[in-house]
Amino acid sequence: MLTAVAPLVVVVDDDLSVRKSLSRLLTLAGYTVEAFQSAREFLTREAPEGPCCLVLDVRMPGLTGIEMQEALAAAGRRMSIVFVTGHLDVPGIVKAMKGGAVDLLTKPIDREELLAAVARAVAKDAADLSDEIRTAEIRQRVKMLTVRETQVFALVVTGMLNKQIAYDLGVGLKTIKAHRARVMDKMRAASVAELVRLADAVGVIVPGPL
Amino acid sequence: MLEERLRFETLLSELSAGLIHLPAGAIDAALSRALQQVAMFLGVDRGSLDVYPGGEPGIRVSWARPGLEKPPRVMDADQFPWAAKRLWSGDIVRFARTDELPEDAALDRASYERAGTRSQISLPLSAGGPVLGVLSFGSVRSERAWPAEVVERLRLLGTAFASTLERKRMELSLAERVRFEKFLSSLTTALSHLSAGDFNREVQRALHRVVDFLGVARGSLIEFSRDGSTTHSWAIEEWMDVGEFPWMTACLQRGDVVSFSELEKLPDEAAVDRRSYLAHRVKPQVAVPLLAGGLVVGGLVFGTGDAERSGSDEVLLMQQLHLLGEVFANALSRKQGELETQRLRQELTHIGRVSAMGELSASLAHELNQPLTAILSNAQAAQTLLACDVVDLEAMREILADIVADDKRAAAVIRRLRSLLRKGDLEFVPLDVNEIVSEVGWLVKNDALTRNVSLRLDLAADLPGVLGDRVQLQQVVLNLVLNGLEALRPPWAGARTLVIRTAMDGAATVTVAVQDSGTGIDEKDTDRIFQPFYTTKAEGLGMGLAIARTIVDAHGGRLAAANNEHGGATVHFTLPMGRTDKC
Repeated sequence: MLTAVAPLVVVVDDDLSVRKSLSRLLTLAGYTVEAFQSAREFLTREAPEGPCCLVLDVRMPGLTGIEMQEALAAAGRRMSIVFVTGHLDVPGIVKAMKGGAVDLLTKPIDREELLAAVARAVAKDAADLSDEIRTAEIRQRVKMLTVRETQVFALVVTGMLNKQIAYDLGVGLKTIKAHRARVMDKMRAASVAELVRLADAVGVIVPGPL
Repeated sequence: MLEERLRFETLLSELSAGLIHLPAGAIDAALSRALQQVAMFLGVDRGSLDVYPGGEPGIRVSWARPGLEKPPRVMDADQFPWAAKRLWSGDIVRFARTDELPEDAALDRASYERAGTRSQISLPLSAGGPVLGVLSFGSVRSERAWPAEVVERLRLLGTAFASTLERKRMELSLAERVRFEKFLSSLTTALSHLSAGDFNREVQRALHRVVDFLGVARGSLIEFSRDGSTTHSWAIEEWMDVGEFPWMTACLQRGDVVSFSELEKLPDEAAVDRRSYLAHRVKPQVAVPLLAGGLVVGGLVFGTGDAERSGSDEVLLMQQLHLLGEVFANALSRKQGELETQRLRQELTHIGRVSAMGELSASLAHELNQPLTAILSNAQAAQTLLACDVVDLEAMREILADIVADDKRAAAVIRRLRSLLRKGDLEFVPLDVNEIVSEVGWLVKNDALTRNVSLRLDLAADLPGVLGDRVQLQQVVLNLVLNGLEALRPPWAGARTLVIRTAMDGAATVTVAVQDSGTGIDEKDTDRIFQPFYTTKAEGLGMGLAIARTIVDAHGGRLAAANNEHGGATVHFTLPMGRTDKC
């Protein structure tokens, strides 16, 4: 899954020493590292394109790590977070994990633990990224369908037979067969089963007006 | 003859009348003039008036015709044993020729003849009490008789002289008494408002003054601890080490006065003391116990060294010593009381500090964790670097420099914690209030962060220094800030700001205020919040503000609390500006 560029790890911690030392360790482990002293500073950076992982301090002045996680989720941004904290507060941990954090490490952090967590987070992000890319591509294919083809596509994946579709849409069986062939072609699906998987990836398609 | 008698009587009555209204200071000169007039009138060659206050030789007024030696002292028992004995018992001694003197006055006769005295009359002086002195007239050039009427006239003159002398003695003793009263009251003032820190210096100064006043050579103040086990002493001329005087110390601890004029008079059990007195060349000594509240708190000791005090009035001296003793006893007992209060205050402060530290422990763990995290990561980064084929020495150097810096940072955190937890003595030093507030700000920074409180320091520039104990004042600020944070804790859902402000209040006062945006203080609590063990917190000891107030009071400041106009409360305290003469 690794792209040609080294995966990006973003370190956000208000403490300069911690920021610097974690960056150093991660750089030596082969990652591209960017460090920010606050969540706000990071949020002004545009979303990274390649696989990326965030190493976030839970407690920071301004926006806390948890609040930053919420902000990213609200913005619908892909994220893979490893939280670090010097202070174990249970409600914070629960919130972080429910929010989808990959791991939560307590300071001081052992190198192996950190690298393992970061590797997991990067792998997760890479997987998320390729899912995202695939979904985007499928959406692109769906966009190429005409209104009538989209209706046929939506009904085919529900498991309806051609005649039922013809009846529902009030057109002839032959016409439906032709639409169906074009859908299979445009969606680059070799079978109905594959067509169903593609539909799943982009979500339920609501049939257009009859 | 009758005319001469009349003239003599006139002279005597004039002299007596002249003596009555004299101020004490002019008496000696007037007596001297009177003596000369009477001697000239009588046609004698020498006259003398010797005064013996308390039995010791005192003032002497004498007159002799030009070319003649001064008359001998007839009360000197070595030269005139027979005459002195008679005079002391109130009898007149007179002789027209030296061979009139009886057999047992052979020594006296020889002394008179050696002095050239051929005839003499000596009259003891008394104002109704013991013998005060002797009035003598003598003839050198010729022998002469002392007729009864002359004796009678001289006796009258003697009475006039005696009462004048007695009046002088009383006036002088009154003046002495007034002088002593003044001295006592100034000493009382000097020793009444001593802080424990000034105590040693002021007591030393007071001892010097007392020694000067009494005209003695040495003095020392001994303090006995409450349980009697330990002693401490202040002394002049490095005298005395209590250990060298076990007998005297024991006497004082029993509440007895120790007074002696000769070492031989010390009892056998005082052998160690005797050796010490000899070694220190102290002869007569007087020591009085100091009593306060029915307990012997110490002793006051004076020694006269080699010189004997002349003309001392033992009774008066003892009275004075007892009064002086009271002043010192009060000072000692006040000091002991103050030390006790101070100890309790420190104990309370310590308790308060420890409980505050408990509340802070989470954020302090964070403060230590940061450098520890950086050190571990840097060290592991270095290990990674070392595993490479070619080691990047420049990167290694940077890493090691960072590790050193973070280690020092961790050590500084621990040092600051330790200084906050220390149960030290009060140490009043010049302090920068802004610095104290900033350090507390550092300490609670993380706590505020965790509680999502915006903490702001609003420090006045150019604040004058104050005199105080750094740790205790930090404790006060810390306590107020923790209370402020507490007020902003959920369920409080309003604004969460805490401001620590320093400012000048008038020309000579610095104020520190801690303002929160919380619920404020309930009206019914405003009077009680400063009381010990009063708390609104579930886990509070209720000692915080009580301790804070005690500390602020000890610094001469005031601690007060009030609700803000737009919500929340402000607790502030004042500190007097540090006086530069003490800095």
